[in-house]
Amino acid sequence: MAIKTPRSDLLHLSLVIGGQVCDADGLRLGRVDDLIVRLGADDYPPVTGALATIAGRAVFVPADLITTIAAGTITIRKSPLDLQPFTRRPQEVLLKDDVLDRQLINVDGARLVRTNEIEIARLEGWYRVVGVDTGPRGLFRRLIPRRFADTIRPGAFLDWASVEPFTGHVPTVRLRIPHPKLARLHPAELADLVEAASHREGEEILEAVRPDAEREADVFEELDSQHQVEFIEQMTDEDAAAVLARMESDDAADLVNDLPEERQEGVVALLPSAQRRRVRTLLGYEPSTAGGLMNPDFICLYSQATREEGLERIRRSSGSPDTITWLFVMNQSRRLKGALQVVDLVRAEPGAVLGDIARPPKHVRPDADLEEVARLMTDYDLTVVPVVDDEEQLLGVITVDDVLELVLPRGWRRNFRVLGDD
Amino acid sequence: MFRRVPALLALPRRALRGRPRLRPRNRLTAKLLVLFAVLGPGLIAANAGNDAGGIATYASVGAKYGYDLLWMMVVITVSLIVVQEMAARMGAVTGKGLAELIREEYGIRWSAFATVSVLVANLGICISEFVGIGAALGLAHVPKYVSIPVAALFVWLLLVRGSYKLAERIFVLMTIPFFAYPIAAILAKPHWGAVGHAIVVPHVQLNSGYLFLFIATAGTTITPFMQLYVQSAVVERGIGPDQLNAERAEVVSGSIFANVIAMFIIIATGATLFLHGDHTVNNAADAAKALAPFAGHYAEVLFAVGLLGASLLAAAILPVTAAYVIAETFGFEKGISHRPREAPVFVAVITTLIAIGTVVALIPGIPVIKLLVGVQVVNGILLPITLFFVWRLAASRRLMGDYANGRTFNIVAGATVIATSTLSILLLGVTLSGR
Repeated sequence: MAIKTPRSDLLHLSLVIGGQVCDADGLRLGRVDDLIVRLGADDYPPVTGALATIAGRAVFVPADLITTIAAGTITIRKSPLDLQPFTRRPQEVLLKDDVLDRQLINVDGARLVRTNEIEIARLEGWYRVVGVDTGPRGLFRRLIPRRFADTIRPGAFLDWASVEPFTGHVPTVRLRIPHPKLARLHPAELADLVEAASHREGEEILEAVRPDAEREADVFEELDSQHQVEFIEQMTDEDAAAVLARMESDDAADLVNDLPEERQEGVVALLPSAQRRRVRTLLGYEPSTAGGLMNPDFICLYSQATREEGLERIRRSSGSPDTITWLFVMNQSRRLKGALQVVDLVRAEPGAVLGDIARPPKHVRPDADLEEVARLMTDYDLTVVPVVDDEEQLLGVITVDDVLELVLPRGWRRNFRVLGDD
Repeated sequence: MFRRVPALLALPRRALRGRPRLRPRNRLTAKLLVLFAVLGPGLIAANAGNDAGGIATYASVGAKYGYDLLWMMVVITVSLIVVQEMAARMGAVTGKGLAELIREEYGIRWSAFATVSVLVANLGICISEFVGIGAALGLAHVPKYVSIPVAALFVWLLLVRGSYKLAERIFVLMTIPFFAYPIAAILAKPHWGAVGHAIVVPHVQLNSGYLFLFIATAGTTITPFMQLYVQSAVVERGIGPDQLNAERAEVVSGSIFANVIAMFIIIATGATLFLHGDHTVNNAADAAKALAPFAGHYAEVLFAVGLLGASLLAAAILPVTAAYVIAETFGFEKGISHRPREAPVFVAVITTLIAIGTVVALIPGIPVIKLLVGVQVVNGILLPITLFFVWRLAASRRLMGDYANGRTFNIVAGATVIATSTLSILLLGVTLSGR
């Protein structure tokens, strides 16, 4: 997809802006103020016109009047007499006003970069934006006097195919420009970007993800709780419930718990019944204890059940893969009696009875604290720890990912290399 | 067993960015914590202005003109509140620092200029803070070759190894030594009636010395780093539009607190040095020493304690502000909570400023006064530009939406910006003409 443009052919936006507008005879007509491109359909956005000051008037020079764009000069066809002021058309952005100096998403690096320079080239017969410069050269070129500016060679070039600009600040863009390239990012990467970006930019990322509700919920699960609340709070109860319904129930319960008291009930009431029941149960526990950490999705069978019945239950289960890597076995009075891994089940003889394969389970009470759970997982190499009540009935399971998230040292928690250039 | 978590316990958890506490605190502690947790960027930014240079200026004002300039502090306080509120509001609404917004809205040249100015000015002030630390502890006979490096190490560790929350808490605690000034002022036994009268009724003298101190006071009370710091800190703290009113209250009360402290410094020296004809104060440590014969040894100690707290606070805030500005302008990872490998540029700027500040402050016979004059020149040029940007950006509906300046407020803000800028440019002229 990326087209190799010889570097010498790159046209720097900073050298075009402030240059002169000339007619075919080379007569100076005015000054170039900005270039307009249309985002969307093309891989490399085409220039659709220029803003210029001609005879003291700010006017729009449409692309079909422009013959060449070069450093310092834009040449236009004859008779620019009836030029109109600029009005934005959908999907059009001003390169200098809307893109230059602002943040972009580098989709391939999953990081935010600042646009120090915009590179233009003639491609498929017309001038298009082919990339941005995020390095110091682009910056330096714009700081020194114009006379010396073209002596600065192109710097860190980032192909436009790897770049997604923010357009939320662009006024009158009625049709929000979609961000198709974001589809290449993992939900965790998107969450990192949302956390690093400003509120409005984060909102734009989430809006771009929204059409895929499942993916939106995945991004929410990865966000830190401060940002979760920040974005859920401004949704309607219906939208918030739609996101929460698709999240893991323990994550959903944590998020509901962080919401302002007056919103909690309204949002929970709109959840689908199964999720609502689970969230309500989890809300009863202190968030930092085993009860608050546990997930009520698990598989528990009577000890007489056979290997085949166990496999069948896994097949039919809709729970997340993390929680059902372990199966639990209970006796007639629903007391937790054993635990076994899916691998044990697969390896067992056909027709084996679960009660015979299962090992005595290590378990915790709902009020056990994080330390106890983490220690149990470490000591017995567990990825899942069952939580039982006073009757030793299974309430839920704690998966290692939720524990790891909390015990990870502060500095390790986020991928901090989200900003900047390299 | 199925009890709901009380709201009060849920609150600090949010403050800790989603990290649950292992053991719940009792209710009273939690309540106090919530109160304490509101204090932050606004209080810190305004009080970092009461630094070594600020104290010297206020002490001079009191020594030279008694209570005559007290009325002005009221006017300056209002101006400071107007400006700081705009910066804090921008941080909460846009989620971006001031330097970032200047670059996005006004282009790279302005922002490069602002960045270089902030770097130079903050480095200069930073040196003077370390000199101040050395002088304050020098009064307790601690050699500066011990006190300054230890203080520098403490500040550096706090900024580089600490989290934002911890650093903010300690900054807030660093404002406690400021209470030394009201006590010193009481020990100085001022005539409270005269003080009250001076606050309410303006005394204007038309001579160059009075005018110089007038504009110098305005210049030291409203400094560019305050707007830059408060906005970046509001962003790092994660304050959104929904918490804006609490943050506004914090900014307003923080600014008032800072300036009331400044007034007490003026009162303390006004009631002693001015009345006894000792009209010159060269620096903050001098002021402390000069106070002893009139207000007793305790007043000297209190002044020294205040100076130490103020210098430590400012010695931390100035490098951080410079680091925020550079990271925001060039798009690097930033934040006090980050470790060196996570935000290398941010940490490098902090380290460089503290290192140079420490080394230069240790050079024997360093001309601090000349240095501060140079800093004043840079800040004098920078302040009108920063304030203009703050004003215009906070008024931009495109940027701020419904949170943009209202019509009336915008006029008040504009008048404040123009008046403050004029004073700043006057100070620049007076300084350059060698007064």
